[in-house]
Amino acid sequence: MPASCESSITLAGDLHARPAGSLAIAAAKFESSIELSAAGRCADAKSVLSIMGIGATSGQLVTVRATGPDAAEAVAAITGILAEATKVGS
Amino acid sequence: MTDTGRVGIVLVSHSAALAAGTAELAAQVGGSEVAIMPAGGTDDGRLGTSIDKIRYALAAADSGVGVVVLPDLGSSVLTVRALLSDGVGLPEPLAVVDAPFVEGAVAATIAAAVGGDVKAVASAAEEARYARKL
Repeated sequence: MPASCESSITLAGDLHARPAGSLAIAAAKFESSIELSAAGRCADAKSVLSIMGIGATSGQLVTVRATGPDAAEAVAAITGILAEATKVGS
Repeated sequence: MTDTGRVGIVLVSHSAALAAGTAELAAQVGGSEVAIMPAGGTDDGRLGTSIDKIRYALAAADSGVGVVVLPDLGSSVLTVRALLSDGVGLPEPLAVVDAPFVEGAVAATIAAAVGGDVKAVASAAEEARYARKL
């Protein structure tokens, strides 16, 4: 039974193309599958176009869910990037 | 993941500005580790395609692990095909992908940035066809 981990974060800014790219690159380093969800839409965190497709904006709650052997590390890394990369002005 | 070079990307368009702008955008999203070479317009700066520009871009994008080529439309595809059928001095492996130009370039760049091989980078670009943006 693979480990599963979940955490949520409220975005400080819109999830633009550049942070979506940083997220996809970071997500690729993990073995676990990683899913983002916001306002009822889901994305594969390893696909940059999928991430942009959820169109998450400032103030929205984004949930990061990972399943696999490195799920906890993956969720920590991805929520960290979401917090950093959506800061206004980045 | 590979510890050697990254797969290179060549963007072939009728328009030098479109190829260069798409390369600039893909590099912004995907980081600076991937060689993304634009090959747009004719040799004398008009709209069209140039086999010499494409040949140069292929060589410049190749770091030894292969290149993925995205043509935009029409004669971009035909010129790339003509170059391939010629077949001399091309990067190996080489894949030409049928993908949306901008989305495919961005997805391919990310796949290359994380160490994907030519097959993985080509698949990422082709899957861009099915990504919803609305």
